[in-house]
Amino acid sequence: MFQSTLAVFQKDMRLEIRNRFGINTVLMFLAATLFILLFSIRNERLTEGLTASLIWLVLVFTAVIALGRAFIAEAEQQTMLLLQIHAKPTAVYSGKLLFNFLFIWISTLIAATLFCVLTNSSPTWSMLFTILTLGALGLSGTTTLLSAIIAKAGNKGALLAVLALPLLFPLLLPAVAATKSALLDVSWRMIQDELVTLLSFAGTVITASVLLFEYVWND
Amino acid sequence: MKIAISLLVTTVLCAGFLLSAATNLPILEQSARNLYFHVPMWFVMMSMSGLSAWHAFKYLKTQDLSHDIKSEAAMQLVVLFGVIGLVTGMMWARFTWYIGTGKFWNWDPKQTFALFQVLVCGAYFVLREAVQQERSKARLAAAYNLFAFAILPFTLFVLPRRMQSLHPGGQDGMPAFDKITDPTMRYIFYPAIIAFIAIAWWLWTQRVRTKKIEMHLAHQ
Repeated sequence: MFQSTLAVFQKDMRLEIRNRFGINTVLMFLAATLFILLFSIRNERLTEGLTASLIWLVLVFTAVIALGRAFIAEAEQQTMLLLQIHAKPTAVYSGKLLFNFLFIWISTLIAATLFCVLTNSSPTWSMLFTILTLGALGLSGTTTLLSAIIAKAGNKGALLAVLALPLLFPLLLPAVAATKSALLDVSWRMIQDELVTLLSFAGTVITASVLLFEYVWND
Repeated sequence: MKIAISLLVTTVLCAGFLLSAATNLPILEQSARNLYFHVPMWFVMMSMSGLSAWHAFKYLKTQDLSHDIKSEAAMQLVVLFGVIGLVTGMMWARFTWYIGTGKFWNWDPKQTFALFQVLVCGAYFVLREAVQQERSKARLAAAYNLFAFAILPFTLFVLPRRMQSLHPGGQDGMPAFDKITDPTMRYIFYPAIIAFIAIAWWLWTQRVRTKKIEMHLAHQ
């Protein structure tokens, strides 16, 4: 079980390192979005609340764009059957989740850092790091199952965004509130509740996904 | 059964509008009657979401398409009663909370999260339309349904509790139904909940029957 999880993860990692399509797409998307966004607000005074919401807006769309590929790639290359034969559903899910988490974690770290540097805001970095880690866990937990669903549904355009955005709302609210606090440089006690909410959200979606994945995956 | 239900709903409607509500609270006044209509909508929405999720679960376990029909029909009622609940809430808020401002909407947490719950249901139907093949449509829809149901407690119970809200149960909520509410209102409020759940249940059975006939005809 653990070995096949690792094998799925390594396979995706190796594919990504070989052609770097995913990471390049995301980096280009991030760069384009950030520059358009920041150029259009260049001299406006951004409040902490606005900065936090804009960061998370960018991060959510990055996640939806980047993580949708997890299973669509398998469907396109017609390797789904191979995976279905060789690995248990839970192993496939865990491997994909691990890869997605790592992928979106790095992307969010890059995006948030760029955003803060370009807007000259100075958050408490350790706090921001914790929030992004928990947020990335929730983002990847939600989108991994949903991307399996849309890969099975035949990958119709913006379907992932339609399915994911309402479900991500309970993640965004505490994440934005906590990021705002991190930008305001408050003590850890102040964002304790938000961090617990983020963690429990991630726990809930991952547990639900593990239970449901088998039914989505097997035809 | 349907006669009993229609009698109960009629009684509740009449009693709700005609009996003296006995609320002399400022601002709230006669609009307190909306308690009998707005609040039961959410009870209906909760129970229909539960019903839908239960049949989604049963579908995944048994692969019996009749459970998929039941699950989808319940979801349609979630949308219907969710929208009615939102609209009655907007009307109520317009004439009490933001009296004189002319506003209908102020992003109150419960309001917002209820709207998102309705959006999730919308996404459910978009997903259904995206899949052609009957069995995989049912399977994927059931999985999405249960996944959304797992997140439902966050949107309706966990997060709004932690924010300032005018709804009861918020950080300093307006006690619309609290110690200061006239206890006699309970005599209409509780039957109203039962009446609206009953009529939703009856509508649900009709949807299920229609769908079953439609499916039967389509297969001929």
